[in-house]
Amino acid sequence: MKDLVATALNAARAAGATYADARVVESRHQRLSVRTGRVDGVESGESLGIGIRAIVDGAWGFAATSDLSTDGITAAAREAVALARAAATTSRRPVALAPVNAYTDTWTGPCETDPFTVSLDDKLALLLLADDVLRTETAVRVTSTSMNFLGVRKVFGSTEGSLIEQSYVESQAGLTAFAIGDGEMLSRSYPNNLGGQAVQGGWEAILALDLPGHAPRVAEEATALLSAAPCPARETTLIIDASQVALQVHESIGHPTELDRILGDEAAFAGTSWVGIPDLGMLRYGSEQVTVTSDATIPGSIGSFGYDDEGVPAQRDHLITNGVLTGFQTSRESALAIDRTSNGCMRADGWQRQPLIRMTTVSLEPGEWALDDLIADTDDGFYFETNNSWSIDDRRLNFQFGCEIGWEIKNGELGRMVKNPNYTGITPEFWGSCDAICNRDHWQVWGIPNCGKGEPMQVAHVAHGAAPARFRNVRVGVAR
Amino acid sequence: MRRSLEEIRTIANRAAHMTRADSAEAVVISSISALTRFAGNRIHQNVTETDSQLSIRAVLGTRTGVASTNRLDNEAITRCAAAAVDAARHAPKDPDFPGLPKPAPLSIPSRSLSLLSMYDAEGRARAAAQIIQQSDARGLVAAGTVSVNDYAVAVANTHDVDASMQTDELRATVLAMGEGGASGWGSLLGRDAGTFLPAQLGSSAATLAERSAGAGDLEPGTYTVVLAPEAVADILDFLGYLGFGAKAFAEGSSFLVNALGTRVADTCVSIYDDALSPATIGISFDYEGQPRRRTPLIEGGVAIGPVTDSYFAAKLDRPDTGHALPAPNPYGPLPLNIEMQAGDATLDEMIGSVERGVYVTRFHYVNVEDPMKVVLTGMTRDGTFLIENGRLSTPVRNLRFTQSVLSALSDVRAIGSKRQLCGGEGGAALAPALLIGHWAFTGQTG
Repeated sequence: MKDLVATALNAARAAGATYADARVVESRHQRLSVRTGRVDGVESGESLGIGIRAIVDGAWGFAATSDLSTDGITAAAREAVALARAAATTSRRPVALAPVNAYTDTWTGPCETDPFTVSLDDKLALLLLADDVLRTETAVRVTSTSMNFLGVRKVFGSTEGSLIEQSYVESQAGLTAFAIGDGEMLSRSYPNNLGGQAVQGGWEAILALDLPGHAPRVAEEATALLSAAPCPARETTLIIDASQVALQVHESIGHPTELDRILGDEAAFAGTSWVGIPDLGMLRYGSEQVTVTSDATIPGSIGSFGYDDEGVPAQRDHLITNGVLTGFQTSRESALAIDRTSNGCMRADGWQRQPLIRMTTVSLEPGEWALDDLIADTDDGFYFETNNSWSIDDRRLNFQFGCEIGWEIKNGELGRMVKNPNYTGITPEFWGSCDAICNRDHWQVWGIPNCGKGEPMQVAHVAHGAAPARFRNVRVGVAR
Repeated sequence: MRRSLEEIRTIANRAAHMTRADSAEAVVISSISALTRFAGNRIHQNVTETDSQLSIRAVLGTRTGVASTNRLDNEAITRCAAAAVDAARHAPKDPDFPGLPKPAPLSIPSRSLSLLSMYDAEGRARAAAQIIQQSDARGLVAAGTVSVNDYAVAVANTHDVDASMQTDELRATVLAMGEGGASGWGSLLGRDAGTFLPAQLGSSAATLAERSAGAGDLEPGTYTVVLAPEAVADILDFLGYLGFGAKAFAEGSSFLVNALGTRVADTCVSIYDDALSPATIGISFDYEGQPRRRTPLIEGGVAIGPVTDSYFAAKLDRPDTGHALPAPNPYGPLPLNIEMQAGDATLDEMIGSVERGVYVTRFHYVNVEDPMKVVLTGMTRDGTFLIENGRLSTPVRNLRFTQSVLSALSDVRAIGSKRQLCGGEGGAALAPALLIGHWAFTGQTG
């Protein structure tokens, strides 16, 4: 793979690139799914190719190919150069990159038991067992259990002298029960919706989830939702569970602090940001309780790596400190706009795609509360768990989230269950109303392997550390 | 260069017949995608991607397994075939599996592929520059894309299915932005390069942006709305995804289960899925090599039925409409070429008939609130206006809606006579503008 990178860099240089980098990425995956007692899919795959990025005449070009012959790579390198030359015809200012040291290194993610060595029989048996348990509730008409595994090996090299080899394994599993009755479908998931929890790690991470052990509660709660009252429409105090806090962070803090969005580079598709560069160090984003970090060094998180796809070392940085905006997620190019060096957030969805600024592990730092104490401290409100719908505007201000399940809180205790709970708000008002965050005992990193951004669309594997948190004066039960 | 049609057809047939399974199916897709992306009035990304993908579905009795690779040398194909058989061997029996489909007559349009050469790196840069110039000259900032996708698909199975086709498509988008929240949008999707007039596209977006500057507040509530085609396409996409896939129908999670053959929309509403329409893009067979048939979803306001693939056609005892996606997938067959029958109203007539309402250019980040009632939420963007006394009066800040699509389609007052092909999640929708009596806006960005 290192030879392929060298071939690409030499060809790009010879074609006129003033800077070039190349990534060879080899990946394999396995996806297993069981649906309502039937194995719905058993699929494996592999992919290998190279992506070459070049600067010529002060503009970027990028070409990717799965033809790894010398001729194929040389043609791709020349194509990247030609694309850069074409882009330069509209250039306003030449691309410049914040400095980074040249590294020769290797990095490997954690994995105790390679999931690709575990038999299909064992994997399917676990899914089928969990599925069986889910279907013990008769109202649960549809069930879904699944596992996904990803193995990646990649080599990055640049004309500045870096040569970095990295490899990691990701494992994901989860289950969902769908109770259907009287014209409505209500779902309950574990440990999260959309395929469950995703981590860097191996088979040991799947076993630790204990899917069959959690299936009875999931099925019971899905069934109970059918006869639960709808979430009433009102403005109230809201406590949301850690997984929902993770998505709230993702949509209303993670994306708006991506510097490429702030600079307008994603305007036409994903949108821009309500935050501007002059806001750095000035803007009150949330309450004093709210401190948010971007951290690519957390072991086991799918947002972690040794180096990003520009060869910048993994870092921990503060985005919000005690409620004040103190940082952005950056690339080598965008970091210059704030007179900083890159904090290493550039990643690509495979060899085919040009790196973009992507979240690493963007986390709401834990507070001091135990969840029971937080509920006991709440006279009147709601507690919502597990996202099942998300929407936010193109500047990341106006959001609306739906959750799978909720409970009323009355006089410090959880009361009756409510179905189809949702809430809406405006980003700074919502985070400004955060008055309590649970402690590290409740804090967990949640993998989100489906973050879409960019054109052509790229799907990034990102993560968020979060604990349950309380927010005041939140509008719940929208259009209910 | 991507692989030729004949080359991928040969690979598909060889791969399908080399497994040691009872039967097998192979799908090969080879593509070149080129995309020029601009923002801040300059090209900031200029990319191409060349790849081929082979997927093999192996069948042992009623057990199936799938493996894929993007390496098409003999060794990799052999390994892929073995992995598919291994997956099938470990999969439990599925008594509902009807076997792989047999060949059906196909209509394969012969297409000359010229878009990639016409819009090479320089061609795309020229088009982008013309779009940008329209904004730049008016003190606006443009962002968007000019892209070409040139691809070929071959499907073969051991029951003599042998389908292959190549095509291309052109897409351009532009967002013009300015001070005071000014924001305007334009887009084009299709195969006819003659309809792509970059300066005109850039100009219309810039004009819309200028008109949307200084947007004001509007109290959330229920309003009459005129939805432009891109906004309509968004809700049609979700309607198809949530309601008209055979898997959701079979599982009982689609509204269609309780509505088959009943009125679910105004009588003026007819919605089809039709990959064969000359106005749309894509290939004329599905990923099992079966003909994609024009399929009524809603006709005269009555819900007709779901789209199927071979598995769900057999399971539901319905015809195979040719809507298989690559196996396996979590969604089952889906309508990805939805078209809504045009009406007879011009956009001006629709706006002119509204005393007080809202005009929506397009939606952003739409998602599902209630799948069985097809309740969606999302935001407006890039040109939202108050309609007063039959004309667009003032721009308004972006609004959030939370609305049942079925309720909206039961309240259609007029349908536009012109339709636009709009890109969606994995497909394209041919959508007219709609005048809808009541639409619930539940919030506004301050």
